[in-house]
Amino acid sequence: MIEQTVIEGIPTLVAPASGPLRGGISFRVGHADETLARSGITHLIEHLALFRHGMADYHYNGATAPTVTHFYSQGSPEDVGAYLNDVCRTLADLPFDRFETEKEILRTEANSRSRSVLEPMSLWRYGAQGHGLAAYPEWGLYALTPDDLRAWVARYFTRDNAVLWFSGPPPANLRPVLAAGQRMPLPPVTNALATTPAFFCGPEKTLGLHSVVDRGAAAQVFVGILERELFRSLRQEGGYSYTVATDYSPTDAKTAVIAALADTNPDKQDAAIGAFVDVLAKLRVGNIDQDDIDATLSKAAESLQHPEFDAARLPGAAVDVLIGKPVLSSTQIEAQLAAVTIADVHRVARTAHENALLMTPTPVDWAGYEAAPSSSAAPTRDATRYPMINNSASSLLLGPDGVSFEEDGRLVTVAFAQCAAMLAWPDGGRLLVGTDGVSCRVEPTLFGLPSESLAGLDARVPAESLVRMPARPADAIPKPPAKDAAAERAVPDSEPTGPTSTLGKVLTVVLRIVFLFLLMACTLTVVFRILD
Amino acid sequence: MTDTFTPEFAASASYPEIGVAEPAVQARDWPTILALYERSDWELRDRLVRTIAEIAGTEDFFREIVARDPDDLVAATALGTRLISIGWEIRTAKRAKDVSREQFAALHDYLRQAERILIDVCARDPGNAVAWESRQTTSRGLQLGVGESRRRYEHAVRAAPHFLGAQYNHLQQLCPKWSGGTFDKVHAFARECMLAAPPGAHNARLVIDALVEHYIELPAGEDKAYRDSPETRAAVVGAAERSVLHPDFQRTTGWVDTVSSFALGLSVVGAWTEAKQCFLALGNLASLRLWSFYYWRDTETQFRVVRDLALEHG
Repeated sequence: MIEQTVIEGIPTLVAPASGPLRGGISFRVGHADETLARSGITHLIEHLALFRHGMADYHYNGATAPTVTHFYSQGSPEDVGAYLNDVCRTLADLPFDRFETEKEILRTEANSRSRSVLEPMSLWRYGAQGHGLAAYPEWGLYALTPDDLRAWVARYFTRDNAVLWFSGPPPANLRPVLAAGQRMPLPPVTNALATTPAFFCGPEKTLGLHSVVDRGAAAQVFVGILERELFRSLRQEGGYSYTVATDYSPTDAKTAVIAALADTNPDKQDAAIGAFVDVLAKLRVGNIDQDDIDATLSKAAESLQHPEFDAARLPGAAVDVLIGKPVLSSTQIEAQLAAVTIADVHRVARTAHENALLMTPTPVDWAGYEAAPSSSAAPTRDATRYPMINNSASSLLLGPDGVSFEEDGRLVTVAFAQCAAMLAWPDGGRLLVGTDGVSCRVEPTLFGLPSESLAGLDARVPAESLVRMPARPADAIPKPPAKDAAAERAVPDSEPTGPTSTLGKVLTVVLRIVFLFLLMACTLTVVFRILD
Repeated sequence: MTDTFTPEFAASASYPEIGVAEPAVQARDWPTILALYERSDWELRDRLVRTIAEIAGTEDFFREIVARDPDDLVAATALGTRLISIGWEIRTAKRAKDVSREQFAALHDYLRQAERILIDVCARDPGNAVAWESRQTTSRGLQLGVGESRRRYEHAVRAAPHFLGAQYNHLQQLCPKWSGGTFDKVHAFARECMLAAPPGAHNARLVIDALVEHYIELPAGEDKAYRDSPETRAAVVGAAERSVLHPDFQRTTGWVDTVSSFALGLSVVGAWTEAKQCFLALGNLASLRLWSFYYWRDTETQFRVVRDLALEHG
């Protein structure tokens, strides 16, 4: 049972459990509230707020998630109380003497952590904004100022935008002092997909599903069944995969994201793709077994009956309070799960398919999935054209409203008004990322750009999108090809092998750009924002 | 031996059910087809669906039935299979280098339409061996990969063990022209299917299919050496002994195809005694499956001439 009370004006959740006290404070802010050019601000604040605890002898941590930031600790009630008091005090007075050092630590932390395979799917689904920022490096770390952080704290880290939670009676010494503010609404859920079901070509040996469904018990049961079906079909029957995994994450009070991942046996990648598509089809047409529902429910019942169930879900319950959703009792959760029928699961399966985004190594247009947009429809208007030195097939277009890059008839355009970030290197190199996730490089060394064009570009990009980057190593500055690459590539077409391969070829070109950019991103700093 | 011998090549003569299905589909009489399908085994169902899917214009008829009754998975399978046939008619049976870009584009377009219909059929009824077999063809045509075709083949034979239609389809996929692999895999697969099936079963026919596929791919000179080698002869005669010449061989669905195929294979390797047994077993029935082998005359004439030779030398 989770009890609700109020301490110092802050809603508080209490669920008694055995062992040392666990307690935390959660704020309704996360990286989905940020912009690409100032991304990392929440994570940086979280780090600065915890700096003074570096040598504490009790367990504590912080975590920045898409829409929530948690601070929590475990120990004696006095320690937990003192920790939370101190976090709140520090938020009001961040140790800016640590500013540059903590930024450096975050960049190092990012480099040492592996990227989640789910991240590219967020990029394609949401673009370079909101929930899509999970896929990007924390580029804002290069641009953030102490004033930016103070304004962010004043807006989000307030007592009206916080929830306290404890696995036992709240500590007697608890005095969390936070400024007044307001409960912040969730960031809008953006969409970079023109149509769904859609797919994009991702890395080899990896299959992914990302979809959006109505939040609730039926969706949770669906995810359980999906995992069972994938395991049965991809691993047990065919040995096409070793690992399958699923995830259910509420995005707000009404919707949830469901994700599924499978690796593929390198020799059987094609069959793994086919089996993955067929599992989704089987559930979509409603071929759902009551036994699978029962098995999923009994697994859920096990965790519901665990004596620590309520204490373990306190951070999740805190999020519900922050987004204005009632906190359900375990009895209510159990009743909702028990009421789920095959028809309910079928409904979720249909929605999951309608909104599906697949990440597969090769195109799945043959199965009815549309290629996700990976280029732009039109070039920027009234532009000056700069052909690439020694490669007449590629040109850069600089216009008053944006930039375009054209290669073999393929086009990417970033309009200044929709520029999520422009990274600017001292050598003149620029990377513009549109809110739709399309990116365009402006490299003076490749296009022989006059310096006044570059100055014009910098002046037109909104100041809040500009990120000044430190100098790149000399070998990271691109050089033009030695001779005319376009003429060299003029080889006759090979034997027709069907539209899938033609499409594959186009996508390879497109994705090379996206992944090149991701690869480069990885060397700078890599994100990790999932709960520790 | 007689010059007036006229074998009956029409499939309807060998398969009375086909004789019923063809006019029924022409008359747009679906209940008759459905009743026939329901009481047939998988081999016959396969032949029924493929026969009606070869008839021009039936796609509109199948589409109407599916629109009226989305749960009629036989009609949906027939529609998917018909779309594959249309695509393949446009592609023609020519070698890839002789097929135009436009023809390939049309083929792939029809195969994708078929695939979407058949994905649903298999999703609703994973035991539908005919739909899985049609999806083997879409996988091959869309070049989804040998592994994916194999997965579909395995679904088909899981639903219908030793299903010859699916096995022949997979044998095609394994041929170098589709897979880029070698004939070793083709022969190994044929042999594996033969040995897995009970003695007397039709599946040994795949050994002849593999032989013919291999022979026509070889350059002049090498082809004859391959055909006339003792190993080839032994493989063909061995397969016949495990199948058409085995006491347990039964005249079940497709027997005229099987015996005619062996009659050809045994004649080609000069096993005239065994070939003669096949021709005699056929009586006046015959199937021209594989009989385009010789090229030098029309297939019916070839059949008659080779039959005469076998009856003379055997």
